[in-house]
Amino acid sequence: MKWFIAQLRKESWSPYSAGVMLGLVAVFSVWLTGHSLGASGSFENLAGALLKFIYPPAADNLYWKHIMPAGISWQVYMLIGVFFGSLVATLLSGSFKLSANPDFQWRAVWGNQAWKRWLAAFVGAIILEYGAGIAGGCTSGLAISGGVALAPSAFIFIAGMFISGILVSMIIYRKKF
Amino acid sequence: MNVTDILAAMLVGFAFGWSLRKAGLTKYHKIVNVFRFTDLTVLKYMMSALVVGMIGLFFLDEIGAIKLAVTTPTYVVGNLVGGLIFGGGMALAGF
Repeated sequence: MKWFIAQLRKESWSPYSAGVMLGLVAVFSVWLTGHSLGASGSFENLAGALLKFIYPPAADNLYWKHIMPAGISWQVYMLIGVFFGSLVATLLSGSFKLSANPDFQWRAVWGNQAWKRWLAAFVGAIILEYGAGIAGGCTSGLAISGGVALAPSAFIFIAGMFISGILVSMIIYRKKF
Repeated sequence: MNVTDILAAMLVGFAFGWSLRKAGLTKYHKIVNVFRFTDLTVLKYMMSALVVGMIGLFFLDEIGAIKLAVTTPTYVVGNLVGGLIFGGGMALAGF
């Protein structure tokens, strides 16, 4: 029991054990709830709901009706859980801190200005979400949930993700850091 | 959806967020460094999850507890182009 609590309070786990935990979560999620993990889809659901609220005719098409139904979906609730899961994990390990630009590596490469971090996060997230929309999922929704069912799409996606990820980080970093 | 479904969804998310946080994948440098091959945490995490998930789901399918269905359709160009755009955003934002 003491060991268990010590594990819960630990700052970080081995990526292997955390990965095993995610694998088990993915299995139990499909088994007990009938839904598979996914993150990017919930933003599409929410964006659809917002569009429906602002200008209903624009949301009245095939995509928002069948492919990504607008509204509060299962995934949106899951994403709320993700927020609290990581928040509680951080609070328990005692490393909770509010910071506008927390990452040392980011500061070393781009400087201390918080607006740069926020702008890159915003622009990067738009690109990322757009790509996820085309591919049919993100790292969790397509690579993990598809990969565990041995869907070819997941592995094509992972390959594409690494090709451009490596290229972009080569451009950003060149010889820095 | 009823309250039980919502709570179950949140519980799944809670465990998901917990494991992401404990693996350190909420940090910018962990995500970016996998593309620079200086820190392979993302790969170790993803591949362990895939292996455990595959074994678990195919076992459950074998004993008939679930009916395994591929929920992510394969359309090579879409998956690849989407992945290429996605990776660029990922390396820039570090999510």
